[in-house]
Order: sequence, then C-alpha cells, then structure tokens
Amino acid sequence: MTAADTAGGAAGADTGAHARADMIVCEGVSKWFGDFQALDGITATIAEREVVVVLGPSGSGKSTWIRCINHLEHHQEGRIVVDGVELTNDLRNIEQIRSEVGMVFQQFNLFPHLTVLGNITLAPIWVRKKPRREAEAAARALLERVGIPEQAEKYPGQLSGGQQQRVAIARALAMDPRVMLFDEPTSALDPEMIKEVLDVMKGLARSGMTMMVVTHEMGFAREVADRVVFMEEGQIVETGTPEHFFTSPAEDRTKQFLSQIL
Amino acid sequence: MSDSSSPTLAATQSQRPPFYRDAVVVKWLTQVATLLLVLAALFFLTTRAGQELAAKNISTGYEFLGVNPGLDLSEGIDTDPATGGRALWVGMVNTIRLAIAGIMAATALGVIVGVGRLSGNWIVSKLSSLYIELVRNVPLLVQIFLIFAVIAALPRAVEDQGPIHGWIHLSNKGLSVPRVFPGDGFYQWLVFLGIGAVVGRYVARRRRRSQELTGRDAYPVLWLLAVVAAFGMAGWWLHPVFGWLGPVFAVVADAVGAVPPGAVQAAISLGALAAAGWWIKRFVDSHRTPAGLAKLTDDDYFRMIFAGVGAGLVIVTVFVVWPGLASWVVNSGRDLFEVVSDKFGNGRSGPPIDGHRPDIQKLGNFPNYGPAGLNFTQGMAAVYFGVVLYTAAFIAEIVRGGILAVPRGQTEAAQAVGLRRVTMLRRVILPQAFRIIMPPLGNQYLNLTKNTSLAIAVGYSDLVQVGQTLFSQTGKSIEIFSIWMLFYLACSLSISAIVNFFNVRLRLVER
Repeated sequence: MTAADTAGGAAGADTGAHARADMIVCEGVSKWFGDFQALDGITATIAEREVVVVLGPSGSGKSTWIRCINHLEHHQEGRIVVDGVELTNDLRNIEQIRSEVGMVFQQFNLFPHLTVLGNITLAPIWVRKKPRREAEAAARALLERVGIPEQAEKYPGQLSGGQQQRVAIARALAMDPRVMLFDEPTSALDPEMIKEVLDVMKGLARSGMTMMVVTHEMGFAREVADRVVFMEEGQIVETGTPEHFFTSPAEDRTKQFLSQIL
Repeated sequence: MSDSSSPTLAATQSQRPPFYRDAVVVKWLTQVATLLLVLAALFFLTTRAGQELAAKNISTGYEFLGVNPGLDLSEGIDTDPATGGRALWVGMVNTIRLAIAGIMAATALGVIVGVGRLSGNWIVSKLSSLYIELVRNVPLLVQIFLIFAVIAALPRAVEDQGPIHGWIHLSNKGLSVPRVFPGDGFYQWLVFLGIGAVVGRYVARRRRRSQELTGRDAYPVLWLLAVVAAFGMAGWWLHPVFGWLGPVFAVVADAVGAVPPGAVQAAISLGALAAAGWWIKRFVDSHRTPAGLAKLTDDDYFRMIFAGVGAGLVIVTVFVVWPGLASWVVNSGRDLFEVVSDKFGNGRSGPPIDGHRPDIQKLGNFPNYGPAGLNFTQGMAAVYFGVVLYTAAFIAEIVRGGILAVPRGQTEAAQAVGLRRVTMLRRVILPQAFRIIMPPLGNQYLNLTKNTSLAIAVGYSDLVQVGQTLFSQTGKSIEIFSIWMLFYLACSLSISAIVNFFNVRLRLVER
C-alpha cells in the first residue's frame, strides 16, 4: 500500500519537469511458484529514459519481476503494460514486447555455436528480416560501441567473461530496444571485469536508454540510477532517489539491508 | 659460474649407461620384441590350426565359393544361387536391406518418440515414456519371437483376398504391399535429375544472394526443388535421348578389359608407396617446430617404419601372394561398366519408375505371395520390426538427452531477442543438440546392423543364416567366420565413416 504510493510519488516528482511518457506500468502484479508467492502485488511505473536499480536480498523477487516484463515468466495477477502494449496471452503482443525489450542475463547466455557477429545478427536477420550485410554493419558498429570491435569473428568460448557480457549487451541492442533489462549482469564476473561492463552500462544510461537493473553494485546505483527500488518477499518496500535511499531510508528493513551490505 | 660448471657437465654427458639401462635402447628392444612375439603367435596359431584341420582331414580354402551348394534360400535377390559365393552375396544383400531400411525407420520413429516424451501434451509424453520403458527393458530376441508369433497367428493367405483387395495382403505369410522399382529408363532419367540438380543449385545460389542483398524472402530451397522437379518431369518422357550413353560405357568397358594385369599391379604398388610417402611427409611436417626442425621420438620413427612396411606388404601381396588380384580387378571393372552400359542401353524407352500390385500364387499345397509385390515374409517382418522398435526406443532417449543438454538459458536468450519457436529450434537449439546426439546415434546404427544377425532365430536368409547353412554343408568354419567378420567390420566402418563425416561437418559449421 505505502510502497505503491511512494513508487508513484517518486515517479511523479521525477517526471514533473519533463513530462515523460510512461514506459513500463505494473499494476498489482503477482506470481506464484507452486505455494511460494514470488511477487505480491507489485505496482510501479517506469518513465521513458529513466534508470531504475532494483535492490533486495536474494529470493526477494527482483529477477522474477524483471523476467515478467518480457514474459520469460508469466505473471498470474495484475497488469503489465510496456510502451502502451499490454502483456496478455495474445502471442502478437508478446512478440512485439520482446522485440522492444532487450535483456541481459547473469550467465550471458550467448549462443556458443555462432560467432560474435552471428550472435548479434541472428535476431535482426530472422525477426526483423534485415539483409545480412546491413545487419553485420550494424553489429560491427555496436561492437565498436561496447569496445570490442576486434572480436567480431571469434566464438563466445574464446572471450573473457567481461567481453562475453558486452557481446550480450550488443546482441540485445541490435534489436533497437526501447527498454533494456539487466538481470544481475556483473554477478558472474571477476572483479576486474565488472568495471568494463559497468562502463558500457553507464554509457547506455547517458545516451537516454530506459533501463531496469537488478544488481548488487551499490556504486553503480548511486552514480547512475534515477531511482532505487528496494524489494523484499515479493513486495516493494521502499523507493526513492539514490541520495534519499542511501542516506536517509525510511523503512527499518531498508536500514537493516544497507547496514549489512555497506 | 660457467667456468666451474662446464667441466662437470661435460663429464656427465660422456658417461653412457649400460645398454639395459639406456632408455632409448630399452624402448626399441621392447618394441621389436613385442612385434616379434605377436607375429610368432599368429604364425603358430595359423600353422597349428592348419595341422589340426589336416589331421582331421578337413581341407581349408575358399573353393566352396565357386561350387554349387544346392541350397534354396527363403528370400532374396536369388533364391536358388548357383554358387556358394552367390548364396553368401544374397545373404549380404538381405542384411544390408534390413540395416538400411531399419536405420531409416528407427531414426524417424526415435526422433518422434524422443520429442514426444518432451512434449507439453501429457498424453503424448506418457505414451512415449511407456513405449520406451516397455521396449527397452525386454530382450530383443524375445521381441522378435513375439512379433513372429503374432504374425503366425494371423489368418492364412487366400488367393485374391486381403485387407485392401488386391493392394495389401496381411496373413500368416507376412505382409505384401505394392512394389515400386526402377524401370527401364531409370538410369537415363537419373541423368536428367543430375542436370536438374546442377542447374537448381545455380538458381538457388542466385536466389540466396538476392535474398541477402534485398532482405526479401527469395525461397532458394523451393526454387531448387522446383527446378529439379521440372527436369524430372521433362525427363520422364525425354529420357531415351540419353540412350547413346550405353555404347559409350560399352567402349569404356572394353578399354578397362584391355588393361594388362601388370599395369594394375604397378598402379596398386605405386599407390601404396605414394600413400605411405604422403603419410610420412605429413607426419614429419606436423612434428616440425616453428624453426623448421623435426622433433621425433622413437615411437614416431616406429610409426614411420610401420607405414613403409605396410606399403611393402601391399606390394608383396600384389606380386607374390595373390597375383590373381590384378586380373580380378580388371575383370570386375569391365563387368561393372558392362552392367552400366546395359542399364543405359539404347532399347530402354520404358518409364523410369514402375510398379506392381502384389499377387498370390498357389504353387504347392498352400497359397503364397508371388514375386510381383513387395513382400515382408514372416521372418523378415519379425526381425525388421523387432530391431526398428528396439533401436527406436534407444534413439528416442538419445534425442531427448541431446535436447535437454542444451542449457535453459539458450531458450530464454532466444526468446528474449524475439525469435519465434520454429526459428529458435532451427537456429539455436537443434544445432547444439545435434552435436551431442550424433556420436551415440552412430553407435545405435552399428547396434541395429549387428542385431539383424538375430534373423537366424526366425529363419530369415541374412548373411549369418546363409553362412550357417553353408557351413553345415561344407564344414568350412574358419572361412565362413572370416567372411562374417569382414562383412560386419566393413558395415560398421562404413557407418562410422558416414557418421564421422557429419560429425566433423557439424563441428565445422559451429566452431
């Protein structure tokens, strides 16, 4: 109840000056895995060009929430609307939303039997029906943007973890998404590789991409996020700007969480 | 430093150990000793067996292959073979027939059941599981006997009757269905199809290029099929224009027949030498350091020597042990081209593909299927359906395992970039699953081929059954065993080669 109010209020305060459109709207989204309730009435709105970082202890439903947004998990109650298209059982809506929402996974999930170029051009060629030459040119430009243009002909197995994750970001960007979802993108990386991935994500945020990021990187949250959402047991406990969240959190549970990780 | 150490270094180098402690000498000695031991054992066994057989008045040799065995076979390309060799050949053809038809059916059924077991449809998945568990856990021989018994319990064959009158007959004599076979003009027609394939490939490549340039679907595969079909249809009537190929092949046959055996001997010898030389050169090249020095161990020298000895053995065989081989090669080559020439003969203007409905004849006391239809006799049906059902259960599990072994994240990533289900299976899941499926699938093909030898239990004339009959008539056990072993070895190696070819191709595409 209060969580929903704060989420709406913060979004309103943030978008007041620019009057941005709503990109993702969630209303009372609930989801169960058997008896276990993973999401409990999530209500939140994410505006265009906003960067939202989702924090919370493990098992709090962060990943489940963002996986619901491109329908990798199916929510059982409530509504999710992405860029004006509601996620229903309509296969056309699901396809449309998936091609507008890019996703980056914790385990990269690159296709090991395709080259880096093949990974990035697969969806543009087979979903967008782009000519191969055009798709490859676009892919090379994206590799330039994530800083590894020289790896285009290699296979994922020949790259380091950080390079693989940057290829995964390029693969998601190749579909020209309006929203990017990041599901713990740096959790499977060695410490020295985390920075190179975060740098790419910061660049992306600066370019005005709408982003939802599940992460444990507090530095990233503080520096880049427009808004921080704290979740526990499938509910949004608290939401606010990074300064508010890290310096003067309102809820006891949030204080406890921050005291454990900071 | 170097002043003080160099004299002692020189001193240790100059000390040579006694030969029995010298690693190099010991290695060579043991290798040579092992080789001699194996050769001696082989020599002892063969001479000993020869003596034993001679003592028991059993003659050895392959003369029985050219003698009329006076046996009737239950089925095959020749049920009354004129020689023992011909009888064995009929058995081999029967085995190969079973193996090829069985591999195709088992693969199709296995893939369907394997995918079915993964299906979200509860009934389909449970039925698939039931089939797999039932078939996999009963011995194959029991299943063959069961199918045999089921067919035996069917009603008797009656003239002019069947489930679909005149088309399909099912009785205790087995199953008889219409037979489709290459007709008179089949080979000329194949030439048309071949030309169609070449033209179609060219067209398909152009279509694919335009698809890549414009991004619009240009249907290259459909175009290829359409072109081949067009050529095939035109060739159905036009194929006699290739009748002139018959005389051409006849000329080739004469030319091959005129080759002196000495030339064949020389060619085989040169081939063996060239192969050994090529292998040694490649071997040395692959052991070269970047600086160009070949670093070879004693084992490597042994391998090269063996390659040379192998070439020498081939030459000795061709000139000394089996001089008749050369003329056999010449004669077989001539015969082959004569057969081909006959197939292309000028008089052949009939349709490329022909068919017959099955017939039932009453030659003896009971009606039986005649030669017009495609007959699955009781024994053949029992073995065929036995090995197909049995192998399909294993293939299903392999297919299921291969698909499950592709990580779940691959599906999610493919969905997340918006791929549709079919595209995802075709471009992401199956390419990765096939890499896992191929090697065990090849093993199942080998098993199926070898399991057809159970035909002896139900009296189907496969190679083992024919060989067994020949053996009981002539007593040539070693010779027949050698033919069995060589035949199954050749089959297995052929299957392995084909599977490996695809394996390597898949790997190249992927990595």
